[in-house]
Amino acid sequence: MSKQSITTREIINNYGATFAFIFAIIVFSFTSRGFFSVQNLQNILVQSTSLGICAFGLTFVLMTGEIDMSYAGVIGLVGTVMAHMLKDGHTIGVVSFVCLGIGMGTGIFNALLIVVLKLPSFLVTVAVMFLSMGVERVISQGVTTWIRQPEILAIVQTKVGPVPVTVIYLFALFGICWIFQTQTKAGQYIQALGENISAVREVGIHAVLLKSMVFVIAGGFFAAAGFVETLRIGGGIMYAGKPLMVFVLAACFLGTATFKAGKVNFPGTLIGAFFLYTLLSGFTGLGLKFYFVPAAQGLILIISVAISSFRRGKIEQVQF
Amino acid sequence: MGDTKGEANDIVIRTEGVSKFFPGVQALKDLDFSVKRGEVHALCGENGAGKSTLMKTIVREYIEDEGNIFIEDQNVGEFGIRDVQKLGLSLIHQELNLIPMLSVAQNICLGREPTTKFGTIDWTAMRLMAAKFLNEITSEIDVNIKVENLSISQQQLVAIARSLVALPKFLILDEPTARLDQRASDSFFAFLETAKQKGLTVIYISHRLEEIYRICDRVTVLRDGRKIITAEINSLPQADLVKHMLGREITQQVPKEQVTIGNVKLSVRDLYPKEKGERISFDLRSGEILGIVGSIGAGKSEVARAIFGADPKNSGTIKIDEKEVRVATPQDSVRMGLALIPEERRDQGLVGAESVRRNMTLVALRKKFCIGPSWIDQNKEAEAVKTSIKDLGIATPTMEQEVQFLSGGTQQKVVVGKWLISDSEIFIFDEPTKGIDVGGKYDIYKIIVDLARKGASILFISNELMEVLSLCDRILVMFHGQIIKELQSVATNREELLFYVMGGRDYEQTVNNNKGNH
Repeated sequence: MSKQSITTREIINNYGATFAFIFAIIVFSFTSRGFFSVQNLQNILVQSTSLGICAFGLTFVLMTGEIDMSYAGVIGLVGTVMAHMLKDGHTIGVVSFVCLGIGMGTGIFNALLIVVLKLPSFLVTVAVMFLSMGVERVISQGVTTWIRQPEILAIVQTKVGPVPVTVIYLFALFGICWIFQTQTKAGQYIQALGENISAVREVGIHAVLLKSMVFVIAGGFFAAAGFVETLRIGGGIMYAGKPLMVFVLAACFLGTATFKAGKVNFPGTLIGAFFLYTLLSGFTGLGLKFYFVPAAQGLILIISVAISSFRRGKIEQVQF
Repeated sequence: MGDTKGEANDIVIRTEGVSKFFPGVQALKDLDFSVKRGEVHALCGENGAGKSTLMKTIVREYIEDEGNIFIEDQNVGEFGIRDVQKLGLSLIHQELNLIPMLSVAQNICLGREPTTKFGTIDWTAMRLMAAKFLNEITSEIDVNIKVENLSISQQQLVAIARSLVALPKFLILDEPTARLDQRASDSFFAFLETAKQKGLTVIYISHRLEEIYRICDRVTVLRDGRKIITAEINSLPQADLVKHMLGREITQQVPKEQVTIGNVKLSVRDLYPKEKGERISFDLRSGEILGIVGSIGAGKSEVARAIFGADPKNSGTIKIDEKEVRVATPQDSVRMGLALIPEERRDQGLVGAESVRRNMTLVALRKKFCIGPSWIDQNKEAEAVKTSIKDLGIATPTMEQEVQFLSGGTQQKVVVGKWLISDSEIFIFDEPTKGIDVGGKYDIYKIIVDLARKGASILFISNELMEVLSLCDRILVMFHGQIIKELQSVATNREELLFYVMGGRDYEQTVNNNKGNH
């Protein structure tokens, strides 16, 4: 890459969203009441965690050129199952195992429908989202079950010095994902899969298996996000994944305008996640009423997708 | 099994009585084919002769319906793609399967990345590995560059380099030079020479005489899925090779009529299509059928699409009825009375899930069948469609039939009908008979001839020399994006035409030389 000259335009294209993020922080620091306080920043970080973990899962799927909306159901289902199992006295080990099983099981189900039966991923996973919401509703009967063991809540709610422990989880997971994407064969193949599936097949890589694995891994991430979100809230409230639905998508699409032109990537998703809660927190400080939040979310998603699509349109004019 | 003992070890790839059927067509017929160790074996034949099918069968992308295939005396009937790759077989496809966003090094090493002891990719080793294989072909590409920033020609070289990573013993190249520019071609041939000396066996599909005679040892000619001849290249003069490819005259009746040719209708000057083409100039008269021939990648479709405004063009002027017109979009063309019957009719010419009726009036709906801004005059529309169905002999049960369920020939007629209803005067046919059976072809020829008789101007783009010769008044031959020759149909023959299509120069002299040698 040393031979390519880097123009101002490329810098804006590749890091534009990052600049916007920094700019937003600066503006909110001066204008938004209580924005630049330790507690508020901690809040932003904690809230970003489950969003970020979930968005990492989605990032894997988006790389292959598919989409997976099932997280919005899986997170709530995991939360409810967790809360009920903990109430019944199961150990946290067993509970985590079951949660992971729910996530990856959903992933296997998705993979069967999308990769093996070749159904369109958006419709399948929206259906699976509603399916898991339905199951959740049956289990919870619409009643919130609180988790009362402080030692279990501490897994997520403690702080290391001023830093909330969830942030450490988030960055650890980010590190793993990033290394996986950039430094391992499987990471390369997943990226290649979304670009040109016949190229991947031609060199003898098992494309079907690889793509299925991606859905299963993503399911695991969704479960992990549900686990963290539930402990952060302190119980299994109904449809806990729903508020995250738009933000997770928006984080991934905003990420495409960060670092890597027009392509989903983990650093971008991470920045996207922080950015979204920064915006939300900043606007709340400016007096945005909570009932405007859905509208604001919708607007942010449109802007994110627009940025991503325009970028991509430019890139994909390269003809083969 | 037909080989004598002494030769048996020499033959490394052998097919015995291989047949392959596709719906409606037998692509390979009882085909025996063999390749010796260490040779460069050319595979020639017209389009649809079965070259690519045979190669894809050998690498197991297709499975033969009859016959056996042996690689180094091993029957590969039960083998999959991966298994023959392990035997050292590598096919470089016509279409480049590269990943644009990854670097050259990542593409070359895809599937075989060197790893560190932690299981992560060893980038330094990967760059070295990629550079090693790439340097066998060219030293002008930086392995760190993303593939999307390379020219098509460079991308082709990268695709070839990638196939070398598997350390193949047998390399199959399917028209590799169609995409290469002069400079890249030279380095590619230098590579082939070296590879040959190292004992690599190469099967080489090409449409270019010069290349075949430059690097190949033997040649096999296919025609209509059969093997016609395998010969030492030195013992087969160019003109004979061309003759074998064409075979006997096909008794195909084209209902050509004598038509008085009128004034210049369409005039193209110095057209530079966005891709693959330069300095295209020609005139088309009313009542004239003008053919454009050339092998795959010569730039024929690009010219058609640039004239029609379907693709952007870099420069050039287009005059219709001696008035300069601006054709930047298909909408402009439609207004000027230009019609394009595209090569990919299913994707570009028809709305598959819509009825014959809707498809046929799609272009003219606004202009001819609307009362007010958008109310469709159903009766008038139905009347026009009915007339067209009868005139063109469109075999459809009703006009409400969805076009996706019609045969290829019938679909093509619907596309033509669409333009007839919209009163077009200049018709550009891009490979109109591709994938259409004999009967359907005849009908399309008849429609074209009728159009010309009624005074329409026709640009007829095709790979099938026979139909071009018998249908067109004049023929332009394209090679490498340029018109290299203009021929009058009555004053030429298939040998001469194919000679120029394959990039030959000065046919008369070549033929005379051959006579002198005999």
